[in-house]
Amino acid sequence: MPDQDPVLKMKKLRSTLGDAVATIEQSAPYGAVLLSYNQGLQIYVDNRQETVSEHDPTAGTVLTAFDGRTMRERALGGFDQQAILRGAKELASEGGFVKKQLVDPGPERKGDFRTPMKIDPSKMTTKEKLEKLRELNARVNKLDERIVNVRIIYREVSQNTIFGNRVADLAQDIQRVMIYVYAFTSGEKGIRFDWKSRHASAGWEALNFSDDDLQDLVEKAVGLHSAERIEPGEYNVITSPSVSGVIAHESFGHGVETDMFIKDRARAESYLNKRVGSPLVDIWDDPSLPGEFGSYFFDDEGFAAVPTQIVKAGIFQRGITDMYSATALGIPRSANGRRQDFSRKVYARMSNTFFGRGETPVDELMKQAEDGIFLAKMSSGMEDPKGWGIQVTCHYGQEIKGGKPTGRMFAPVVITGYVPDLLESVTGVGKDLELGGGFCGKGYKETALVSSGGPHMLMKARLS
Amino acid sequence: MLNAILQSLRARDDLKAWSVRHIQTRGAQQYDLHTSTESKRSVENERFVVNVLRETPGPDGAPTCGASTVTILPGGDIDSALDSASLMAGLVHNQPYDFPSPAPMPEVQLVDKSLDADPASSAGGTLSTLKEVASDNAQVRLTAGESFAEKETVHLVSSSGIDAVQESTKLDMEWVFIAGEGEQEVEAFAQMNRRRAEDLRLEMEAGRRVQQAADLLLAGPPPTHKGPVVFRGATLAAALNTGVLQTLSAASMKYTGETQWEIGKPIFREEVKGDPLNVWANRRLAYGVGSNRFDAEGIPAQRVELIRDNVLVAFWASQRFAEYLDIPATGRFGDIELAPGPTPAQELLSIPHVEIVEFSWFNPDTITGDFSCEIRLGYVVDGEKRTPFKGGMLVGNLLDALANVRWSSETGFFGNYLGPTTALFNELTVVGGN
Repeated sequence: MPDQDPVLKMKKLRSTLGDAVATIEQSAPYGAVLLSYNQGLQIYVDNRQETVSEHDPTAGTVLTAFDGRTMRERALGGFDQQAILRGAKELASEGGFVKKQLVDPGPERKGDFRTPMKIDPSKMTTKEKLEKLRELNARVNKLDERIVNVRIIYREVSQNTIFGNRVADLAQDIQRVMIYVYAFTSGEKGIRFDWKSRHASAGWEALNFSDDDLQDLVEKAVGLHSAERIEPGEYNVITSPSVSGVIAHESFGHGVETDMFIKDRARAESYLNKRVGSPLVDIWDDPSLPGEFGSYFFDDEGFAAVPTQIVKAGIFQRGITDMYSATALGIPRSANGRRQDFSRKVYARMSNTFFGRGETPVDELMKQAEDGIFLAKMSSGMEDPKGWGIQVTCHYGQEIKGGKPTGRMFAPVVITGYVPDLLESVTGVGKDLELGGGFCGKGYKETALVSSGGPHMLMKARLS
Repeated sequence: MLNAILQSLRARDDLKAWSVRHIQTRGAQQYDLHTSTESKRSVENERFVVNVLRETPGPDGAPTCGASTVTILPGGDIDSALDSASLMAGLVHNQPYDFPSPAPMPEVQLVDKSLDADPASSAGGTLSTLKEVASDNAQVRLTAGESFAEKETVHLVSSSGIDAVQESTKLDMEWVFIAGEGEQEVEAFAQMNRRRAEDLRLEMEAGRRVQQAADLLLAGPPPTHKGPVVFRGATLAAALNTGVLQTLSAASMKYTGETQWEIGKPIFREEVKGDPLNVWANRRLAYGVGSNRFDAEGIPAQRVELIRDNVLVAFWASQRFAEYLDIPATGRFGDIELAPGPTPAQELLSIPHVEIVEFSWFNPDTITGDFSCEIRLGYVVDGEKRTPFKGGMLVGNLLDALANVRWSSETGFFGNYLGPTTALFNELTVVGGN
């Protein structure tokens, strides 16, 4: 029934949000309303089972009152006009707002935005999607008899947002898709696995795997049975785009989220306009990149998506901000005010974070490395903005001898070190550029969909 | 609305089984910065999670089953959601199984009454305690604190006759102590979650973090060490909740061939040189964060013996995988419980060792158990002398480490873990900076 559709409810409420904002601003210097609805589909196919389910939806309204010092919010499940107006009145009646403080609502802006897609998931039937995933499962299974399971995980997430303050009236419909293909193989040492994935703000056109991709997946899952533990030490390292991306994300991504500045948790704060890496190092955060998993048109505070250059030629330029931290620090906004969903507050969060591309062909980087380790596949990372330590866990690494991979594998391989030392050691940056999507937490919670990446890079790193 | 959903489900003849969980949450969140409050939020949410099971003849005509889950929000279109669930379930072809039958639900202590009565006061109260600790310790300053207090009520009704309610509370906290000045500043970051405020033991825990921050200021470079390594308290609890034992003892993983553990066989690949390992998956642990009266399927809380004297005695299993493997259904894993060892902690700690108290992230591979993790704070301990260090890596394999460990006779509760307070791993490797 149309009147029960959350998206239609949101659209119907849109014209009334100004009333709620005006009510809040009777007492508070700044008021805003966010309507947020996230929903989707997930399909899981492996050799012995399948499931098809909705992605657990969230739908709710956030009423915000801000006086430049304290951000007060009411988070209400669903989209109910009476509840919104009641919540706005309650917020306004709390009192105690600092009225002298001016809070900039940003420039006047209006717009409706939608992810461009060639193959819109909403236009495909669930059966069609399931059949394609079964075909993918079968394609992998026939590649090697040591495979004990092939697991396909597909997820599509639709994020509908309407934002209003006294000068903004914005709506966006973001469609994200992702797919993971895991191959589990059996051998003398037990079970070993590898995976390949695709993530995009797009439709199904972004989810293709070539035969070579799948062959490589299975070869790695089999090859890991003979992988060794690496001798700890410092190595010449070539990072793949996925590993480069995690280094960018953990070092000058989390480390420059400016809510960390006001908590005195970020060493980067005292390195503004100072050298933090080799002159070859550029780092960006850009939510406006078309098609990337962490992209959006405006953030959860209604700030339009624009690129932010964080590091330029090795010099730290600026952090990424949400409204609270930008106001508290007196620094310009960037489009990085994001919340997990309506039930959580906004923090300064990354979108698409990556090293800028260089000029060196990847083959040339390999030659320059001569002897070292090629880190092809990341599995996780952890930030340390205060200590500027870094831990990047790679699923495996491959030996390089004489500028060429030898086929010898090590697993797992972990990069650790001091962030400026690692970035200062960069002596080559590939002319390729690739981003991959994933899930990012703030500490141990607050999940956000992001991407990270960059080119292949040559550096020195401590591995264990 | 629950009644309307039940009415619609009962009227359908295309479903083999179904269940509905009506989940209501209400809570308060407070975010403090230094001595002021950055944000205060009140949060309410309600949803209905519907699981359906259909018989779906497979391509060869053999009987198969398909399950699906949809979530209906208040005011949502019930019939459309149930049609969608039925359609999705009808598309998949799994080996037949059923949803759980009714069984007596145990009473498990899950509610902090003060939090239930006033979540905002609970959230604010914990942050006040932190401020008091910080004001009593001049060497640190509290720069950030977050506290979430939430009450959850779940009412589960199923086609098989389950009709049960459970109430629970939880407190999620994190905070930052900064010590030192300028380039020498260090932080002690803490993250905790418990069902009851008193189980946070906040004054003691905050005091521990104050000490850590102070020690970080004095910390030297990491040693290179091969030998005894100690984990205690929350560090040990976190290491045992990284998913290795949970993954390899899962019936779902056995069914797909991703674990090679077998009932009646030792879980270790090498000779056991330390104390025997005895493990339970426990959902009955009072105020355990993984505890409940019943899980999402409606399987009553149990304390399941998984590993006895290093031998796997059971897999933990949902109804579906229990039927597939013809083993008892235990429900979700819940919290992990380990049997105590024979040795007092004091005796274990008298051996010269390295103690690790903080990692960047202790994240072993859940299939192989291999790990290599950066150390944020450790100590070289020799008798009464504790020399702090930071950096370096702990390298090893969790399963091999558990085959060569001595457990303390004292036990403690750390939210998601009940067991020995101290573990002395006889042979682990710390890789120093050089």
